Amino acid sequence: MKLRNICAAIAAASLFVAMGASGQAKDWTNIKIATEGAYKPWNFTDASGKLIGFEVDLAEDLCKRMKAKCEIVAQAFDGVIPALNAGKFDAIMAGMNITDKRKEAIAFTEPYGRTPSTFAVLKTNALAKLPDAGKVYSLNPDGLSAAEKSINEIKPLLKGKVIGVQTSTAQANFLEKYFKDVVDIRQYKTTEQHDLDLAAGRVDGVFASISYLKGVVEEPKNKDMMLAGPRYGGGPLGFGVAVGLRKGDPELLAKFDAAVKAAVADGTVRTLSTKWFGFDITPAH
Amino acid sequence: MSDYVELMGFGPKGWGLLMVQATLMTIAVSAAAFALGSVLGALVAWARIEGNRLVRLAADVYTTVLRGIPDLLVIYLLYFGGSQALTALAHLLGAKGFVGVNSFAAGAIAVGIISGAYQGEIFRGAFNAIARGELEAARSVGMPRLLLFRRIIVPQALRFAIPGLGNVWQLALKESALISVVGLTEILRQAQVGAGSTRQPFEFFITAAVLYLLLSTFSGMAFQRAEFVAMRGVRRS
Repeated sequence: MKLRNICAAIAAASLFVAMGASGQAKDWTNIKIATEGAYKPWNFTDASGKLIGFEVDLAEDLCKRMKAKCEIVAQAFDGVIPALNAGKFDAIMAGMNITDKRKEAIAFTEPYGRTPSTFAVLKTNALAKLPDAGKVYSLNPDGLSAAEKSINEIKPLLKGKVIGVQTSTAQANFLEKYFKDVVDIRQYKTTEQHDLDLAAGRVDGVFASISYLKGVVEEPKNKDMMLAGPRYGGGPLGFGVAVGLRKGDPELLAKFDAAVKAAVADGTVRTLSTKWFGFDITPAH
Repeated sequence: MSDYVELMGFGPKGWGLLMVQATLMTIAVSAAAFALGSVLGALVAWARIEGNRLVRLAADVYTTVLRGIPDLLVIYLLYFGGSQALTALAHLLGAKGFVGVNSFAAGAIAVGIISGAYQGEIFRGAFNAIARGELEAARSVGMPRLLLFRRIIVPQALRFAIPGLGNVWQLALKESALISVVGLTEILRQAQVGAGSTRQPFEFFITAAVLYLLLSTFSGMAFQRAEFVAMRGVRRS
């Protein structure tokens, strides 16, 4: 008898909680988007605690296109995927690259940003004069032949040079694949570590994502460093940064997808990325 | 140095206010966790002293498991697992959507049940330090159990427990940093946000370290004071 009372009480309580939950209808007029808030310039926080950055602006634009009211919340990057799947929020916009591994856990829209990778060197190094500085080559099938031509062009210039790269990254795979026979590839645990060795002259150059390196060479303490040579993207260097969503929300995925495509097509992504990065990160769809 | 003062100050470019708010959050979540831990700890101590075999076993399992698995795992299980379990339950009853566990509550409960496992052992040790004769004397004059608990056990056990509780409080303070993974903006999370947003990690992490040190120093002094007050009737040779 007593046990039955307890069961009844638990059932009633759960029902109460459940009713509270069922109140949120799934017409997606209200969307909660999570970002990290600490990844400049993608998304970060100003001194008043307000979230700002490229993805915050883009999220506002996407929500306008989806005619939805959006709330942007900050969430540590560590727990962002499990938190999405546990329903803490509905979407992730946190500088997150599409990878095969992440695709096992969540769904992605079309990418809204793709930042190529390039070299950073000391201004005094011979590599500072690599050709095609700033030119972007795609390793996707459509641009592959041009990219490989460029790689073969700079190969002789890199002969015998020491290049630092972060270990187990797309950039490290790229160097292994294309430059293994001529370059002494030195792998580092973090990008900060190869920057320190670059400053100390232990490596001739480093190879990393431009969204990271640009910030590095602009630091006053790194005034002897500069970006050099062509930029490579696509293919083994990543599919791009996209909105992450639960696999169980296909309607929301379709809405976000349409909004991202429209923002890419009408130049909004170009405008916003030029504002925050100083260059265009628009991916080719 | 003046750069640092501006960065951590209260001006338009200063992060001072945010760091102060984060410190208050750390204090609030640690205090809530510690209080919950005290209740759980007292129950555990009671179970292990007075309980029958089943209750004792349950208390044993609780302290062994919670002291034995990493704290971060407890937080993950409660925050993510708790939400998923509640959601599954709601779906079972025909509802749609998600049921969330609030991040403050999840954090405080996680650190609280860890703290409770440690506090249980402290209370048990403190109870055992009470002279048996005093309990027997109280019983022999027919003192009711509740009165015996209030007059004989609590004042003496707490006195023995204070140094140990001081330790557990420091643990709770530091464990509160782990809650940064669930998105609660306490000192560590705020420092990470500031470091990533300004590319000045050292300034923020050193400030965070100083804030934790201040909290632990002041609370250490408070516990010393409490111990002094509790021991005022006891002569020390």
